[in-house]
Amino acid sequence: MQTLKPAFMRKLLPIIAIIFFLGCDKSVSTDSSAYATGGGKGGSLARFTVVGDYLYTVDKQTLKVFDISDPSKPSLKRSVDAGFEIETIFPFKDKLFLGSTSVVYIFSIDDPSNPQKLSEAISPTVIRRCDPVVAKDNVAYATLRTNGPCGGTTSILAVYDITDIKNPVQKNSLPVGEPYGLGYVDNTLYVCDRRYGISVYDISKPYNPVFIKGVTADSNPNFIDVVPYNNVLVCWTSTGIILYDISARQNPTLIKQIS
Amino acid sequence: MRYIYLLLTVLLFSCDPQWRDNSSFMAYEPIYISKEEANSIGPRAARQTLAPGKIYAYGNYLFQVEQHQGIHIIDNSVPQQAHKISFLNVPAASELAVKDGFLYTNNLDDLVVFDISDINSPRLVNRMENAFPEISQDYPPVNGAYFKCVDPSKGVVVGWEEKLVENPKCRR
Repeated sequence: MQTLKPAFMRKLLPIIAIIFFLGCDKSVSTDSSAYATGGGKGGSLARFTVVGDYLYTVDKQTLKVFDISDPSKPSLKRSVDAGFEIETIFPFKDKLFLGSTSVVYIFSIDDPSNPQKLSEAISPTVIRRCDPVVAKDNVAYATLRTNGPCGGTTSILAVYDITDIKNPVQKNSLPVGEPYGLGYVDNTLYVCDRRYGISVYDISKPYNPVFIKGVTADSNPNFIDVVPYNNVLVCWTSTGIILYDISARQNPTLIKQIS
Repeated sequence: MRYIYLLLTVLLFSCDPQWRDNSSFMAYEPIYISKEEANSIGPRAARQTLAPGKIYAYGNYLFQVEQHQGIHIIDNSVPQQAHKISFLNVPAASELAVKDGFLYTNNLDDLVVFDISDINSPRLVNRMENAFPEISQDYPPVNGAYFKCVDPSKGVVVGWEEKLVENPKCRR
């Protein structure tokens, strides 16, 4: 607790998560496709991610590619100068989304051992510092957190059209408290809103997210990130982990707290 | 009136830490662990979560980083009865990922690999030294911040804490 809070308050970890829906393909839409390859599922704040036979890591400026086809013996394949102040990495299909303090870098991993930078999808003028981002199909959701040194007056959930991935266009914005990590299952989006809990949105109409409800726990913890996993929403909170049943997607019910 | 000017002067100067010799203000202080501790890696008894970090789901298990210290291993086969199995002591760990029964994490700036195919006895099977020099904790996470200079005799720096520090001499 004591080390967590200052780290977040001061550094204001700009969290960037990009999540793409798989459109109508329900068979894989509820879980990370990476799991099918033998890997697990991390949160939207991760710096490590496994895709197929490769472990990708980010540290500030560098994207590293480790071959883990023999999982006990990683071998460093490549170090790519990726950008600046990279904080997070998120895989989707044949792409990696790297979140930095000011921009989202998109890499193609068509050749998994040799990531190629495609674009800096979301310009710093559109999405400023301290901004978590989410996306679905042709839509990106960004939570712009404006407390601390990042400027701005209100935090929002912004909705972008990313049909042209190099030129996102803002379509909508909704007020939120103090957003951190986020995740989705099917047509439901879960946004960690720190001390306010988890905000649940219906995103069946992707450009018009509808706020359904806020969920929190008795102990009033801060909510930092989520991993939707099967029918369970795994939440990283300031007290440890809290599990919610999300069989009914829009109505998370408390299962258990682990601290 | 003279006192008011004096007070104003004091207030003004107090805003700029550079003028505040031998005084305390908010700055960064290194969190140390001993060198012996830094090399102490492996499974331990389950323990309470005090500084929760990143989360990861794999098969029937959940993992949560205990910041700067290691990884809680949680049996989630029945979420209603989810419970900690053990604690994997990995000093300065902050990240993790899992594939095919192997867990990847960082032991400060080394990449380390554990065989967790037997979840009850994780085994360190590989280490790639200095894989993440950027994770190195030589400086606080914020540019331009004042901080208490690192004293290597105190051990290895695994993180930084923002707190009231008496006359921090280093800045970056």
